[in-house]
Amino acid sequence: MSNKKYAIILDDTLCIDCKACTVACKCENHVPAGFYEYRNWVGEVENKKAVFPNISRKFRPSQCQQCDNPPCVHVCPTRASYQTEDGVVLVDYHKCILCKYCMTACPYDARYENTDIHAIDKCTFCYHRLAEGREPACVETCPPKVRKFVDLMDADGEGNKILQTTQTEVQKPEKGTNPKLFYIK
Amino acid sequence: MRVGERGEGKWKKVSWDEAFDYITDKVVKLVREEKNRSTIAFASTEGMQEEFFVDLANIVGSQNTVRHPTLCLASNIQGYASVYGTFPDADLVNAKFVIMAGANRAEAIITPDTIDMAKNKRNQTLVCIDPRATKTTAMADKWYPIKPGTDLALVLTIINYIISNNLYDAEFVKEWTVGFDELKESVKHYSVDWCAKETEIEAKEIVWMAEEFAKNAPESVWYPGRRSSFFVNDVYLRRAAAILNAIVGAWDKKGGLVPKSAVKLAKHEVLFPYFDWSEPRIDVGKFCFIDGLVPDHEKTDAGLPSDSCAYLSEKDGSWPVFREAILNKEPYPVRGMFVYKQNPVESVPNRAKTLEMLKGLDFICTIDVAMSDTAFYSDIVLPESTYLERWDPAHNLSGLQPIVVFRQPVIEPLHDTKPMFDIMCKLAHKLMDRKEFWEDTSEEDLELFREGCLERLTSNPVKSFIHHQMSKYPGGYEKLMEDGCFAIHDEPVFGQTYKKGRLKTRTGKIEIFSQRYLDKGLNPLPAYSKHEEPKSGEFRFVVGRHGQFTHANTQNNMWLLEAYGETENSIWINAKVARERGLRTGDYVKVKSEVGEQTIKVLATEFIREDVVYYLHGFGRLSQGLTNIYKKGASDAAIIKDYVDTISGNAALHETFVTVEKV
Repeated sequence: MSNKKYAIILDDTLCIDCKACTVACKCENHVPAGFYEYRNWVGEVENKKAVFPNISRKFRPSQCQQCDNPPCVHVCPTRASYQTEDGVVLVDYHKCILCKYCMTACPYDARYENTDIHAIDKCTFCYHRLAEGREPACVETCPPKVRKFVDLMDADGEGNKILQTTQTEVQKPEKGTNPKLFYIK
Repeated sequence: MRVGERGEGKWKKVSWDEAFDYITDKVVKLVREEKNRSTIAFASTEGMQEEFFVDLANIVGSQNTVRHPTLCLASNIQGYASVYGTFPDADLVNAKFVIMAGANRAEAIITPDTIDMAKNKRNQTLVCIDPRATKTTAMADKWYPIKPGTDLALVLTIINYIISNNLYDAEFVKEWTVGFDELKESVKHYSVDWCAKETEIEAKEIVWMAEEFAKNAPESVWYPGRRSSFFVNDVYLRRAAAILNAIVGAWDKKGGLVPKSAVKLAKHEVLFPYFDWSEPRIDVGKFCFIDGLVPDHEKTDAGLPSDSCAYLSEKDGSWPVFREAILNKEPYPVRGMFVYKQNPVESVPNRAKTLEMLKGLDFICTIDVAMSDTAFYSDIVLPESTYLERWDPAHNLSGLQPIVVFRQPVIEPLHDTKPMFDIMCKLAHKLMDRKEFWEDTSEEDLELFREGCLERLTSNPVKSFIHHQMSKYPGGYEKLMEDGCFAIHDEPVFGQTYKKGRLKTRTGKIEIFSQRYLDKGLNPLPAYSKHEEPKSGEFRFVVGRHGQFTHANTQNNMWLLEAYGETENSIWINAKVARERGLRTGDYVKVKSEVGEQTIKVLATEFIREDVVYYLHGFGRLSQGLTNIYKKGASDAAIIKDYVDTISGNAALHETFVTVEKV
């Protein structure tokens, strides 16, 4: 077993929707140009009842939730989607047959078809950077520092400290996926 | 180099040498014909090589440099400086109560303010005042969609409330300000109820703001912001905001307004020759055409000059007045123009006039990293190396905690481009070789210039220049090269004013009442006057920025355009108003003002007032070189009227009314 378990904690009240994370991700990971190919994104939390002037705005950056119980891995017929020992869900592009079961299974719509490499692609927590001791590009580039990249195996680390002392939530907890993206309430 | 008509888009590639010869010929010819070096104008905007462009203007001997502040923050600088003698920063990291009115730090990103705003989010109350819910609203605790043009009523009412309820810092006011009694008298009729009607912000909210502002002082701040080119009497609003901070003593203390500090860099000691043929600037002095740039009622109501600008920065000038002077050929003809990094076609209001101005010029040279609209209308375009491909000199970023930064190339230039520095050097030497260009200066002057100035300016590569710039700080150059930045203090320094015992004003105090203004025939104290309102069926047009784009510069960048999410902009119309007019999101409408019209897609939204419409700057472009956005969406420069604030020379971008019709 690995002695690491990576997660991201987000304080999205700080998000200004500048999309530096999306641009950094696309450049770092050679995500093809185009409006429909991206590994991370920023959405606006829509309040349908809002009527001028009683409105509020809130942005929520997101990406693959790096679920501890990842449905995409379970449904993959060729085992192209797999989970590393440190809990990161990756795709072996050579094994991918583009059946898109994983895209259907993902409750977070976090996967897309990469038209350059003809495989399904997604956030890797910038796995290639982790080995060099660098944080994912989205974490490093964010001007208001919405994201914190943490190791949950580090009992006294910043991640566990925040999770113990602050109220956080995960997206779609009812799906039982145990996401490793935590949003500070 | 252009081969077709101006703006036709027909070009031929020429060698750098041919280009420099062509430019030199044109400059020499025009200067000699006019017997006036100032016939060549130089337009530029902030950038780390801008100083080399200004060097070129000085070598040519032109007085006519025109820069971006009068499309941006000239009135802000004038307003705050008239009170404090300097344009300060807000200490957003420590402030407990911040009012951000008309500033949008989430989308008009500047360092460090945008980041500081986030740092202190959970301990700070942020009030956002804006007729539309910008993305800054997401960060704010309160949002008040104020009626545009009434901010001054709000500030003066808050001042009155604070004074009449004895919430001001009496000791500070007594020791550090002049004119408080006159202020007290002049604001006493601005009641909360009147203000609520005027601004359309509820009375209890106005009271809350006033009380919180005073309670949190000195850790409270009316954020000065950046762009202040709103209305023609904008300087009075900025003066009032500066005064509000002064009466609660939130000056040069943690969490308040703080004067900027700087790290002083060494310069080249350069003496440019004395030229007989160098006429004064074209935008300084009295001109009858300025009368047409100020709305009639404002001349009387706001007491604004209508024949000249009261305080014009002598290097920055005033873009709207400058252009008008060229069009009127007053006081003399300007026949040539160099443009660096700026794009007047898209950034100066009333695009038709800018195109007319360009059409009348005999020579236009644009230096840019992209085929901007102005480049597209030029005779010759010099492609500059991008910031990743060149050395940039050391640059002092003044502020609460001033730092020095520089740039070094991370890649070799991808294309056959040159940095501004090289362009200046080459042109300087080409001009030097033309004997006939120096007829109006003495042999001695010229010799001095050749040896002392030209040698110094052009022989050093930028890297050695940085060494010279940092010469005041032993080890500073090495530190800069190692860390990428250099600072004298690790923490901001507060209270310099109190140490020095005076401010940089005439009286040495904070000038609430301005004798200088009175002497110029201006209001010595800020007074509110109503702005014209949209007629029935019209909307006020407001301008704004988006986080993905730097002004009109980066829309053509594929990654940024993708991040924006669309290839065209949309006009924000209040959802209720849109319903009443049968408009739906995605419909196309014609937006028409007094000066132009554009066609654009509708975005029906709850995020804007009913009497206001808005669309994003930087679309609807004329340059075919901007392939991703050419003729996509609508240009705001095409419809904004070119009114001018005649105190600072700043453009007034929110005085335009438009009609919106379905197409």
